Amino acid sequence: MTMKEIKDFVAQFNASIALDESRIVRNRNRYYLLSKKVKNQVPESFFYAGSYLGAVKGASFFPSFLLLSMIAETKANKLVVDKKTAWLFICGRDIFKKGILKGNRLKKGDYTLILNERNECLGFGKTTCNLHGEADANKVVVKNILDIGDFLRREKRQPKRQKRSRRLQSSSNKPRKPTRK
Amino acid sequence: MSSKPFFVNRYQKLGWTYKQVNPKQAIRINTTNASRADVVNRLQSLGIALEKIPFLEDGYWICKSKFSVGATAEYLLGLYSIQEAAAQIPATLFTELEDKTVLDACASPGGKTVQLADIMNNGGVIVALELKKRKMFALANQLERSRVTNAAVYQMDAREASKLSMKFDCVLLDVPCSGNYVTDKGWFSKRSLKDVERNAGRQRQILAEAVKVTKDDGELVYATCSLEPEENELNVDWAIANLSVEVETINCHGENGLTNVFGRELDRSIEKCRRIWPGQTQGFFVCKLRRQA
Repeated sequence: MTMKEIKDFVAQFNASIALDESRIVRNRNRYYLLSKKVKNQVPESFFYAGSYLGAVKGASFFPSFLLLSMIAETKANKLVVDKKTAWLFICGRDIFKKGILKGNRLKKGDYTLILNERNECLGFGKTTCNLHGEADANKVVVKNILDIGDFLRREKRQPKRQKRSRRLQSSSNKPRKPTRK
Repeated sequence: MSSKPFFVNRYQKLGWTYKQVNPKQAIRINTTNASRADVVNRLQSLGIALEKIPFLEDGYWICKSKFSVGATAEYLLGLYSIQEAAAQIPATLFTELEDKTVLDACASPGGKTVQLADIMNNGGVIVALELKKRKMFALANQLERSRVTNAAVYQMDAREASKLSMKFDCVLLDVPCSGNYVTDKGWFSKRSLKDVERNAGRQRQILAEAVKVTKDDGELVYATCSLEPEENELNVDWAIANLSVEVETINCHGENGLTNVFGRELDRSIEKCRRIWPGQTQGFFVCKLRRQA
């Protein structure tokens, strides 16, 4: 059971990653991948350790950005976006077709990682239509589900962690305004 | 005993004339995640003017930026951390960190934990302790953002570190302190000598526990951002007398530690400590101790 949530999540991107199950530790609802040294040396009563992979809340798995970066290193659904689109995505916005530079083979409902021009993973989203062919350049084609701007939002909503869970569970979250002008 | 004239007079007696300073914001490049040149180029292309901090390998001052350097994609990708210049010194003072077992006894908000991981190239083990749950979320976020993979965080008082049943090669003691007026504008009206003495007492307890969990011949780096000798030289003098540690020579920014505090002669080896009066940076004190076998 330990790996099932992670494997299922990774499979949504048409990918698979090799993780050494013996080094994965579940602590409350959170998964961590520990190096051999960390696993052998530290007591298991930790609050956070090694590489945080993600958390299970109800029936949903909430990935960490480390896990998303691991998936991005494999053959997985990915879209490379231009500079402006990358920044707007980090600010919580969805992606328009015109902002995509590479990777137009996805179908409606696919989960995809969003990468910037340097192939750095910025988060992930879900396509709202088939990307090849018919989509209008000015139409939203990927709904933002999670982006690295979340690091800043987490700090702000620390006491309201429940609210975050609800937003992440819903893929129909509204676009948020950028924080930088 | 409090108020600005009281403390300013104390600094004068210690050989430093009070001045109001406003140090520039500083960042530290996480070289495990990106090269220095790459990050500098990327930030400059965003219109951020940087100046290399002469006494730090990976530190840069922010000279000009139209927006917060904490809200760039590069920051969120963990390519750099925002860390005050003087606060970047302690983690660099250990002789050798790679593959070592390191304790960061008072870790939050995690800037130095990330720096240790960066120096260790994510090898070895860092055990980071933080007492307050609220601060632990920020610490965990910092570790995830900076892609640290060799740390384990515990909610624990540093004065109880021996409960972990571990021995460490290196211990970083960036102990809770009274702070200084540079980073806290209302410092003079808030602080009294009583506070300083209370903090100094707690710091001694942390020091004593840290020495207990340090391997023979292991290294401890003790640091505060306080200007008060009770939390700095006097605590080190107490440690030399009571904890079988000796002060090691360090080569870093700052002046020699004081060996005469308000007429009281301290151990001569305390001059190997470094005291940084406010100027280019905030006020700071740092020293390296070695546990005697």
